[in-house]
Amino acid sequence: MAATLKAKAYELKKTMLETCIRAGTGHVTSSLSCAEILTTLFHGGALRFDPKRPAWEDRDRFILSKGQASPMLYTVLGDLGYFPKEDLQKFAQAGGPFGVHLQKSVPGAEITCGSLGHGFGLAAGMALAARMDRRNHLVFTLLGDGECYEGSIWETALFAGHHRLNNLVAIVDRNYQCVLDFTENFLALEPMEKKWEAFGWRVKRVDGHSFDDLLDALKGVRSRRSVQPLVILADTVKGAGVGFMACNPIWHGAAPRGDEAQQALRELERSARDE
Amino acid sequence: MNNVSQRDAFWTRLYEVARQDRRVIAVAADMGAPALDQFRRDLPGQFVNAGIAEQNGLLVAAGLALEGKHPFLYAIAPFATFRVLELIRVENSIMDIPVTIVGVGAGFGYEDSGPTHHILEDIAALRAFPHVTIHSVSDSTMAAAVAEHSCGMKHANYVRLDRAVLPELYQAAPDLAKGFAVLRPSKAGWLIGTGYMTHKALRLANRLAGEGLDLGVMDLFAMPFDEKAFVAALGKAPRLFTLEEHFLAGGMGSLVLETLNRHGLAIPVKRFGLEMDKGYSYVYGGRDRILAGYELSEDDLAKAIRNWK
Repeated sequence: MAATLKAKAYELKKTMLETCIRAGTGHVTSSLSCAEILTTLFHGGALRFDPKRPAWEDRDRFILSKGQASPMLYTVLGDLGYFPKEDLQKFAQAGGPFGVHLQKSVPGAEITCGSLGHGFGLAAGMALAARMDRRNHLVFTLLGDGECYEGSIWETALFAGHHRLNNLVAIVDRNYQCVLDFTENFLALEPMEKKWEAFGWRVKRVDGHSFDDLLDALKGVRSRRSVQPLVILADTVKGAGVGFMACNPIWHGAAPRGDEAQQALRELERSARDE
Repeated sequence: MNNVSQRDAFWTRLYEVARQDRRVIAVAADMGAPALDQFRRDLPGQFVNAGIAEQNGLLVAAGLALEGKHPFLYAIAPFATFRVLELIRVENSIMDIPVTIVGVGAGFGYEDSGPTHHILEDIAALRAFPHVTIHSVSDSTMAAAVAEHSCGMKHANYVRLDRAVLPELYQAAPDLAKGFAVLRPSKAGWLIGTGYMTHKALRLANRLAGEGLDLGVMDLFAMPFDEKAFVAALGKAPRLFTLEEHFLAGGMGSLVLETLNRHGLAIPVKRFGLEMDKGYSYVYGGRDRILAGYELSEDDLAKAIRNWK
């Protein structure tokens, strides 16, 4: 499973990178940090969905709360057939539905999201609705770690913990970086486990680039005995796979151009081969 | 429906609807009302207390709406709106998610609580958002009708309720789709009020009629409203006076001016509201004292209307 997912992840990352290079924009590094997480969710058997029926009532909901990682989600959705894959060429272009931040108009995208601290609360509301209606689908949501500076995140964390929304699964893409600097340098977020535990969540901490770790964390997610909502803190590297972009705040929200674009594609290929 | 507050009228009617329709969900930000107690007691599965956490309240309500519920977010008006304005923008305007936001304490309703609890800018802010309707409620009959109407709305709705128990203006609910109602006909001009100030407009009209000045009264309670019907109702009015308990920038009076402009009507308009340079009020001892500080007492208004050429 892990080897298959790895090959799929490389294919998706390459398409995402090419898409952003073509458009000359897009949050490449934010997308690279969550590539394995999205690949595991959509190809590792965790999520229940049907690309032919985006509004299928019993689908699991996936809410991308860190809306800037839209190029990665668009790529996953296009690859799955929610829309023709070629349409990705219209990313951030005239005539396409694809904003640089996530747009609900894209088939398979549940929400419009770019402003942080929104998607998580929506996901909690959706999970509460499922509970009220005694429905069995799950609500997954992917947060950025920088997003955890928003007060609304902790309002919702408190709420979901209290209401024991165990049909809600949050994953935090913990890449330790924001726009200007590293989180622990300018306003420490750690200890994250203790914070989430204190808010009433079951916490798992994993290597967010390891398929074994991610698969293990999501194993049995549909039949959990715990009444607590689950948060998976996924330690990642922003820009993983492209050496000169990784761990380099200057690359936030940018796509490489010219020679750097070619170098980025080569490095991505090399890192996939070397791992 | 005399001697019933707007919020109790609203929650009583919504309770009746919710008993028949499980999709109706109350999301309170730790805000109560006697009529809400009944809702909580009898329909616990349709009541959510989001805590004093309006952001979470708005988001959870929007998430519920995405799944087909009819959520009502309930809080004191400034917290139900300005505390969460960017969330309303994204969830209810950009994404067009139908949530009904119920704010209590329109204008100076929380008179002695001071400016944190007054709300004097909400019409300006919320009418700038596409897909968001404002219901500026003027009596309890209307409050009940708006509660029921909200359940069928396909877009977001902000309901600004007065805190005070006010006299009834309507025997039966007005046409909510039209958005305004003529309370007193006239050919010599109109007093156009919203919410609490509609009551003042009626009293002023009676008083001025006794002095030989015959002005009609309109209650402008929904924004946007049926502009064509509004223009037709104005008739050949030689002048208009708008009255609102709201800063003049962007409020109901501004909306009337914009409407006249859009329809090419050059009717002189005098707007009465809160002058920006007077800022917020730190006057205590009742709403009339506060309004007098803005030269909006009934004596001030009667004089200004008489003298306005």
